[in-house]
Amino acid sequence: MFAKRVFVVLAVLTVLSMALAACQPAATPTAAPPTQPPATQPPATQPPATQPPATEVAFEPMKYPENPSCDYGGIIKEIAALDRLTVQFTLCQSDPAFPSKAAFSAFSIQPKEWIEAAMADRRILSQPIGTGPFKLEAWNRGDSIVMKRFDDYWGEKAQVETLVFRWNKEAAARLLELQSGTVDGIDNPSPDDFEVIRNDPNLKLLEREALNVFYVGMTNTFKPFDDVRVRKAIAMGIDRERIVKNFFPAGSEVATHFTPCAIPNGCTGDPWYEFDPAKAKELLAEAGYPNGFKTKIYYRDVVRSYLPEPGLVATDLQAQLKDNLGIEAEVVVMESGAFIEESSAGRLDGLYLLGWNADYPHITNFLDFHFGASNPQFGKPHPEIYELLQEAARIADPKEAEDLYTRANNAIRELVPMVPIAHGGSAVAYRADVEGAHASPLGNEYFAVVKPGDRNTFVWMQNAEPISLYCNDETDGESLRACEQMLESLLAFEVGGTAVKPGLATSCDPNEDLTVWTCKLRDGVKFHDGSDLDANDVVMSWIVAWDAKHPLHIGNTGAFSYFSYLWNALLNAPPSED
Amino acid sequence: MTSASAPISVRAVRDYRANSLWRLTLRRIFRQRPAIIGMTLLGILVFCAVFAPVIAPYDPEAVLIGVENVRRREPPCIHLLGCPKDRPQHLMGIDGNVRDVFSRIIFGARISLFIGISTVSFAILVGTILGAISGYVGGWVDLVIMRILDVLLAFPSLLLAIAIVTVLGRGLQNALLAIAIVSIPVYARVVRASVLSVKENAYVLASRALGGSHFHVLLRRILPNAIPPLIVQGTLGIGTAILDAAALSFLGLGAQPPTPEWGTMLGTERNQVFTAPHLVFFPGLAIMITVLSFNLLGDGLRDAIDPRLKQG
Repeated sequence: MFAKRVFVVLAVLTVLSMALAACQPAATPTAAPPTQPPATQPPATQPPATQPPATEVAFEPMKYPENPSCDYGGIIKEIAALDRLTVQFTLCQSDPAFPSKAAFSAFSIQPKEWIEAAMADRRILSQPIGTGPFKLEAWNRGDSIVMKRFDDYWGEKAQVETLVFRWNKEAAARLLELQSGTVDGIDNPSPDDFEVIRNDPNLKLLEREALNVFYVGMTNTFKPFDDVRVRKAIAMGIDRERIVKNFFPAGSEVATHFTPCAIPNGCTGDPWYEFDPAKAKELLAEAGYPNGFKTKIYYRDVVRSYLPEPGLVATDLQAQLKDNLGIEAEVVVMESGAFIEESSAGRLDGLYLLGWNADYPHITNFLDFHFGASNPQFGKPHPEIYELLQEAARIADPKEAEDLYTRANNAIRELVPMVPIAHGGSAVAYRADVEGAHASPLGNEYFAVVKPGDRNTFVWMQNAEPISLYCNDETDGESLRACEQMLESLLAFEVGGTAVKPGLATSCDPNEDLTVWTCKLRDGVKFHDGSDLDANDVVMSWIVAWDAKHPLHIGNTGAFSYFSYLWNALLNAPPSED
Repeated sequence: MTSASAPISVRAVRDYRANSLWRLTLRRIFRQRPAIIGMTLLGILVFCAVFAPVIAPYDPEAVLIGVENVRRREPPCIHLLGCPKDRPQHLMGIDGNVRDVFSRIIFGARISLFIGISTVSFAILVGTILGAISGYVGGWVDLVIMRILDVLLAFPSLLLAIAIVTVLGRGLQNALLAIAIVSIPVYARVVRASVLSVKENAYVLASRALGGSHFHVLLRRILPNAIPPLIVQGTLGIGTAILDAAALSFLGLGAQPPTPEWGTMLGTERNQVFTAPHLVFFPGLAIMITVLSFNLLGDGLRDAIDPRLKQG
């Protein structure tokens, strides 16, 4: 009897201890890392500070790779430092979008010495050393990131002394913090709260112009979409304003062109057709379908900023086609992967709802991708469009290319490969006394220019915590925005806009056929650790990400997605990744 | 002889008729409150379904954008409850596509009742044939049919229905077919059990001895015994079929937009549970009431037809 009782007690104890053991490992690792980085921070920042004098003495320009070749399939052929302040990028093909890409924060520059010192042990993920107007003070994991003004900044110094990043994934919670005054600005308030913010005298709502497009695609290799009159009839028979007004948040716009107007040359040429059901019916009758026809509307049930309500928009489009044109459409939901695969291969025999988010703010990212000679997503590509695009892609200056893009936009309007519907918007909200408040179409609000009344700290609340602060290997917008306050790229985007302006380089000039870009670096730029910017820092920052075989190609995940995506491929990428 | 027996037989017939299974059943049913509630609810539903165009104030597929000054997902506006008179009345609010939810719910009753009755009739028809053959013939035929049905029964019914719809393609018709196929085994078993229980009875043997064909014996002497349990099972089955159809539609496999099907209505607006609860509340309530009414009626019928079950 006694033995039995002892056994029971023992058994209970064992179970309890196992339960405790199961709970503990989850708790310890998350607790440990936050304490470690601050401890290693002071010694880590010192060595590079002492090194610059040594490197300044003898500048050995880097050249990479040793045997440049284009066989790997990417755009970049060679990156070379010509002298202390000149970097030259040799490309495998002409690329007028080079400045737009080089301004992107995934290509930011950190000191060569710091990359060599901090990449292998991944300190670089949490302790970036940049040239930006703010430098990192502390990253309190799970709570906030604190940045201080960098007093040796080369450009205009930050307006506030302290910048704090916080996050909360609930839109309602972000708004509550803003209303109570604990933060000065929030990202993405819920569209349902737009009115509340507008009516609050202490707050202001800034609509963020959207760099995306939502369109209704058609594949011209299927009947009846092979007839341009049918496509035009659909273009005129859809009340696009009704869709935007009812199913998109405030700040969204009815698309006048495929490319958003914020992008240079995006909306030159004639605006899209007015809603005209009578004319549309006439065209349909001319094409031999006076009573419409039967078709399908394909979509995926995935919410994107360009399509916040996929199912409802599909149903509304179905109703419009029936009422306005007599077209009986069946709504078909597809699995996301299959939908993308089928639509981009041009295998969908009906209308399909798809959109595009800008990767970099250049018109080639919109037009060349969709209407290029090799894209079958709208069926047979139209030479009337892609020949103009090919010609325009050889011109770097947007002003010079304007005429060609005007003609290309008009050709798209005439041939109607698809119907652009909307540019879906979002918004940011600030306290009313914040000066310099802005919303950036790229999502990269730049807080060096804001001044929150007479306070000396600006607190920003976004949707999520940055994943890491080594943004050359991040794609997530929340991480990129935090990086952009501290790190800079060769070029930069205008605050609150998409035009490219000088950054760490005073200029990046192409050769005749846009295959060699030479960037002149700004003299006297200091990193946060006190060292000077030189051409080797630029080369090093780029090559560790670009060359998959580089010993320091480590990063956070090691994917370096933007490098492989915007420059087509990583050098020496393992074949399995293709 | 004839003059003496005639009045007796007339009374006997009258008594017999008065106490026939159906009259007894009906009388017993009306003594049960749950069954009466079920019948009343069902009556209302059938009324709504039959007179849907008269009751519904709007076309269930009509988009009211530009027709009326209403916002998307507007909550219910009922004049009797203090909604301003200058606002258009929408008893159950407006859905995400700016359509009148009340009209859609009313028309949805048609679809749901049609789903329930058509699938169950189909399943009963096929199930009866299979069950009767299986029970009457016996031997290896019985073995093969019943094992196949056992396999069908071993699948969770909704999963099997999803699998069938995946093969046939989505759409209301295919969903109906899938649900019907899934519910066949239940009815086949019921019929087989009653066939087995009476097949060796003396009156059946007598009918055979008198020269009745197998078909005649099965149809006239044996199968009538299976009708009462089939009615009970069928009534309960309608509820299940409606639920299954709603589940399939919720998953996007059943009725396709813009059909006003309750499950589809739930599915498209499921994310609005907090921001616009009326869009999920009313279709959900409609499904619940319909299934409840069939279940109450089915339970009542079972107790009425076979009072022994109730005691046991």
